[in-house]
Amino acid sequence: MLLLATWEAAFRTFQWRPFIFPAPSQVLDAMLNMLGISSGFGKPLHAGWPLVAREPLDSSPLLSRVLHSPLISADLVSAARLVVGFAISVMLGAGLGAVMWRWIAVDDFLGPVFLGLQTLPSVCWVPLAVLVFGLSETGILFVLIMGSAFGISLSMRDGLRTIPPLYHRAGLMMGARRWRLYRHVLLPAALPALASSLRQGFSFAWRSLMGAELILVAERRGLGFLLKTGQDYSDIAQVVAVMVVMVVIGILADRLVFAPIERRVHLRFGLAGAG
Amino acid sequence: MTLARTYQDLSRPGAGGTAPLSATAAAAPRSGRLVLSGIYKRFNSSPVAALHDVSLHCQPGEFVVVVGPSGCGKTTLLNIAAGIVHPDRGSAVLDDKPIRFPGPDRAMVFQDHALFPWLTAQQNVEFGLRMAGMGAAERRQRSMEALRMVHLGGSGKKLVHELSGGMRQRVALARALVMDPAVLLMDEPFAALDAQTRTLLHHQLQLLWCLTRKTVLFVTHSVGEAVRLADRVIVMHAHPGRIRKVIPVQLPHPRTFDSADINELARLVRREIEEEVNRVNAALAAEDSWRPKETADLGAPAGDLGSGI
Ligand SMILES: Nc1ncnc2c1ncn2[C@@H]1O[C@H](COP(=O)(O)OP(=O)(O)OP(=O)(O)O)[C@@H](O)[C@H]1O
Ligand SMILES: [Mg+2]
Repeated sequence: MLLLATWEAAFRTFQWRPFIFPAPSQVLDAMLNMLGISSGFGKPLHAGWPLVAREPLDSSPLLSRVLHSPLISADLVSAARLVVGFAISVMLGAGLGAVMWRWIAVDDFLGPVFLGLQTLPSVCWVPLAVLVFGLSETGILFVLIMGSAFGISLSMRDGLRTIPPLYHRAGLMMGARRWRLYRHVLLPAALPALASSLRQGFSFAWRSLMGAELILVAERRGLGFLLKTGQDYSDIAQVVAVMVVMVVIGILADRLVFAPIERRVHLRFGLAGAG
Repeated sequence: MTLARTYQDLSRPGAGGTAPLSATAAAAPRSGRLVLSGIYKRFNSSPVAALHDVSLHCQPGEFVVVVGPSGCGKTTLLNIAAGIVHPDRGSAVLDDKPIRFPGPDRAMVFQDHALFPWLTAQQNVEFGLRMAGMGAAERRQRSMEALRMVHLGGSGKKLVHELSGGMRQRVALARALVMDPAVLLMDEPFAALDAQTRTLLHHQLQLLWCLTRKTVLFVTHSVGEAVRLADRVIVMHAHPGRIRKVIPVQLPHPRTFDSADINELARLVRREIEEEVNRVNAALAAEDSWRPKETADLGAPAGDLGSGI
């Protein structure tokens, strides 16, 4: 907070040129603008600041203006892509992880490959996606999945490996055979591992998606595209504002969805500290 | 239902002593004849057989305790009876049926309880019944009954990590008993508990066993535990694993744990085990050529070290 205030003060005192680096107030301005609200935070201080603002061009009700604003629609597009892509990625990754855990030969073959692919920055998949799928939704999903599925499968495999063999034997002794052993013993035993790989996988997926939207702009939608627009119009305030939104969404999803899932599983298993 | 009630009557202090118990004890069971004959098992990683020509014949309703030095093959023997491990030679037969896989006629209590942490105590007890396809209502009733038998009727909703060590072991026992197996296999089930809790559980196990008359094959390191519970104590020989001595314990159940007879027998068994452990240690010392090394020579004399500078 102090940092932001200092920054703002310095900006106003020294009259930096806004196209080099924007002040917090201008970022706020840009953000509100993208939400369909005009404000005057970034304007020079004067009587009545910041209430005296440009009049909105259209006079539709505030709520509908906000809902149809570029930022919200971009968020919705990105969120939809994320949900679909991440779901596929989790199923694919967890399935592959289970296969690698079950059959050593598969792991010997795929393990090192996946490890290598996981270190590849996800935007490196973009050219391939463009060539194979064209500039399409599928291409974006492809990049998202490639960027997160390998990590998920590796951590799933490692998680499954930590299951005590004792559970396996106890399950067998109590008549859990074949798929029942998987469904009723091994899958629940893998829950802590699954929860952690979900949480980790999400951050990979989000990063990959943003990268893909930024470069694979054909669909002209999504948060990444908004960032790109900001670049194209040399609107630094908008660029920074979109980045802030990306970070905030990432943090919120982790705090509100994935961390609580992980915590609940840990509580159930008695893994959480003095909880 | 009746079983649980009888048990509670019996376990009440001063409820008649020993006489009525032997009278109410279930009639001599017909199932639970466990015959292990000529078992030979060697694991790939080891040159010595884990079990070498081991034969053991458990009568229906008999309480057999196996003791012996660490690594002599006790757990392996139990796993073979469970059907988890397959012998290289020899046969394992329960009530005239060869043992090939784990099955519901045998239940195992492990040293580390092996309860599933994602289930509550009662759900753990229900697990085997659920796998057998029993309906929810009957399952609940049976598991509750089993939990009451181990005095945990009030803790069914607790998660595993909310139970104490002794409670966990009792849930594990209930989980085995609820399946109504012909044979109960127990691998050092009380090893991780303190002496008081262990004595308490010995009493409970004795009562339960007197009532149900299951065949029990019980592995332990504790001589006291062995003579308190056993009809027969099997002392094992290590490397390769063989039966060294069989010591019958012909005392009536349920037992007073600190009687002179028991102490006498315990001395006998302890002597036997000590001899075996000494034999094993002597053999190990003889074949091991390891000696503390002479002070190592650290190479170049110290005077040379700075010469290049
Ligand atoms: N899965 C396995 N693979 C290889 N060797 C094994 C395996 N299980 C047991 N062994 C070996 O077989 C021998 C007997 O092991 P076992 O676990 O039956 O001993 P134990 O009598 O139960 O010992 P303890 O009292 O320490 O539990 C040991 O030498 C052990 O190293
Ligand atoms: Mg053992």
